[in-house]
Amino acid sequence: MKKLSWIFAVIALFFVGDRIAGWVLQQLTERSQFRYSRLYQQQAEADILLVGNSRGLIFYQPYIEEQTGKSTFNISYNGMPMDLARVLIEDYLDRYPAPKQMILDVTICDRENKALTTGYNMFVPYSPRMYDLLYYNDKNSAIASKFSHLYRYNSEIFQRSIFYLNKSDEDWLIDREINQSMVDGVNDFEMDTIGLIDSVFLHLNVAVKAAVQKGVDVKLVINPYYPAYAARMENLKDLKIRAEQATGLPVRDYSTAVKETKGFGDYQHLNKYGSKLFIDKMIKDGILK
Amino acid sequence: MIFNSIPFFVFIALFFPLYFNLKGKARLVLCLAASYFFYGWWDYRFLSLIAFSTLIDYFVGLQLDKTEDAPARKKLLISSMVVNLGFLAFFKYFNFFIDSFQDMLLGMGYEGSMHSLGIILPVGISFYTFQSMSYTIDVFKKEIAVEKDFIRFATFISFFPQLVAGPIVRASDFLPQFQKDREFSWDRVTAGTGQIIWGFFKKVAVADSLAPFVDQCFAAPETFGSLHLLIGVIFYSFQIYCDFSGYSDIAIGLARIMGFDFPDNFKKPYFSRNYSEFWARWHISLSSWLRDYLYIPLGGNRGGTFASWFILVVFMVLTIFLTGWWWLAIIYLLGSVATYFYMKKSDYHHKNAYNYMNLMNTMLLGGLWHGASWAFVFWGFLHGSYQVVQRLCGPLWNNVLDTIKTPKFIKNALAMLLVYASTCFAWIFFRAPDFDIAGQVIVGIGSLEAFNFGAVINKFWVIKGVAVIGILLLVEVLDVQRPLWEAIQQRPVFRVVSFVLLLWAIAFFGSFGANSFIYFQF
Repeated sequence: MKKLSWIFAVIALFFVGDRIAGWVLQQLTERSQFRYSRLYQQQAEADILLVGNSRGLIFYQPYIEEQTGKSTFNISYNGMPMDLARVLIEDYLDRYPAPKQMILDVTICDRENKALTTGYNMFVPYSPRMYDLLYYNDKNSAIASKFSHLYRYNSEIFQRSIFYLNKSDEDWLIDREINQSMVDGVNDFEMDTIGLIDSVFLHLNVAVKAAVQKGVDVKLVINPYYPAYAARMENLKDLKIRAEQATGLPVRDYSTAVKETKGFGDYQHLNKYGSKLFIDKMIKDGILK
Repeated sequence: MIFNSIPFFVFIALFFPLYFNLKGKARLVLCLAASYFFYGWWDYRFLSLIAFSTLIDYFVGLQLDKTEDAPARKKLLISSMVVNLGFLAFFKYFNFFIDSFQDMLLGMGYEGSMHSLGIILPVGISFYTFQSMSYTIDVFKKEIAVEKDFIRFATFISFFPQLVAGPIVRASDFLPQFQKDREFSWDRVTAGTGQIIWGFFKKVAVADSLAPFVDQCFAAPETFGSLHLLIGVIFYSFQIYCDFSGYSDIAIGLARIMGFDFPDNFKKPYFSRNYSEFWARWHISLSSWLRDYLYIPLGGNRGGTFASWFILVVFMVLTIFLTGWWWLAIIYLLGSVATYFYMKKSDYHHKNAYNYMNLMNTMLLGGLWHGASWAFVFWGFLHGSYQVVQRLCGPLWNNVLDTIKTPKFIKNALAMLLVYASTCFAWIFFRAPDFDIAGQVIVGIGSLEAFNFGAVINKFWVIKGVAVIGILLLVEVLDVQRPLWEAIQQRPVFRVVSFVLLLWAIAFFGSFGANSFIYFQF
């Protein structure tokens, strides 16, 4: 009996400590300036909602705000898939007055990324939608997040929340110039074609529809690639057509809109300088108002 | 079935109650059936291989017991070796030699017409083959008694905790433990559970957390800066250590709960101060197997035999012909001439030279044991060279440090650093998919381009990696200072706290993708 009591002691101590540590980490993340912490803490009200994957991070918020005089909120993240973006957009629309505009880079539809969803475990307490998506994408992880609260914080997203505890994440942008070996080697590697997956466009459709229903002016764009790289992308046009078919909205193709090499951090991402050129162009075209 | 998967937890939850409720033969039969089920979960077709190896070595053992006739005994031993090594050669090395031969022909301008077969490497074949062979050799040498009970013998070969990735447990250590039923003991359960949790921490929290960063580094090294690549190599050294030793810990822990004692397979290898010590701490069951069944029979450090020369020459010829690196012939020739003159100097030098050859042969074959690729052979060559250089230059190094009155702790720290750095260098070849990638990693690190943390990509992986390695090293350092496990064992409160701390660490840092263990491929 005494031996069994030690087993119970291990189990009890594990759960008590797990819940206390989970609560402490939750308090920390709720105080973070990281975008998703702000989203779920009612601190993200904005005029313009920006959506994308790592390429959506090139929407340089301070410059947009300076040029348009409007507030922005960017929900983009590295490798963000459309199903996750859909949940975040719907959660945003549920919690805040509808933004005036939503700018969405449709290259977010270039892949699925079920693994990234588990990183958003820590927002499950605030969003039943997030739990449903997590359960759908990774059932074990969803169950584990109920079992252990510490496990919810086992992710890069949590680390970023801590990183942005006392500082803004609005200038999260590549600040280097593409190196010469990349420029020279742009034709030297095999390019992957974009996987056009039906379910991804279904999520795009749902997200756009939800925003339009709330009166949001939705603008779909293709953010710039390094021009020589864009020229090698075989089915970017197909992606554009599929996105237009899924939403019934036009997609503005900026894939080769930035020509200057010094505007790029790598083949797929503009740097701060390039981002400003791109934003100027969007304002000139009336995409950003 | 892998340890870090839900089916395994279900399997073990069903197995243990049955195991402790059965006695005698029934328990053995359960162990055997469970082991075959465990292995068959991966691919049931290869059960026949284990069964065949088991049958061969069982009957060879019985026959060896019946005859005292030396030539007949030798024939029996050879037949067992041929079958076991034949399986290994076919499943593990056939395609390698065919592909290498094809490349060689192409290099000479001939279009080869041989086709490699779509052979699947049976998981764990290198482990159970060596375990089975050690039994037959020991029976042949009359170092252990023959096992007449087939169920007991088959369970020894296929025992599921260590079947697919070791440790390679010797018959002399393991078979006697089957002689009587192992009793249930709470002390064993807690000790075993502790070791299993520690093993899971190493595998799930350390190895699998480091894996994405390492994979990225070795997939396209040309895209990363110097510091990024260096971190990748350091991370790999811990990934492979924790992946493999984590498996061993889980295996040893499971066996301990079942009432069996396995020897340690790892003893903090990165704290080694010389290469001999490293091999006495790393994959101990393999290095001691190679020592006892290869290095010592070749002459060890007492001298050499014809085989010492022969194996080395075979390696030289094969590498030159099959890789098409003809320039190696010049290096080998120069090496052979140098060795010849070295041996002529005195009997002492003659004996030393044989010792170096035996060391090199052991490490080359050890490298090849890991996998069918020249990169593994080169990895073995590097470790063989380290040991030879250590024996040649070690005294001089010590004299220099003694002359400048270097404090002992600095001496030890320098030695550890040197051994660790050179081990990491060898790991590059072990991990890289080919020599080109290994070269890119080395050149990338050596260039010192972008040697700053700002240029490191995916810093969050680095932060997590440093955190888990920090915990690992902290525990290992504490354990060196005072055997931590003993202290934990003595105080139940301490035991409860340590278990819970590890479980929290696993929950917070673990990667739960049910990633396979690296050593399964060997």
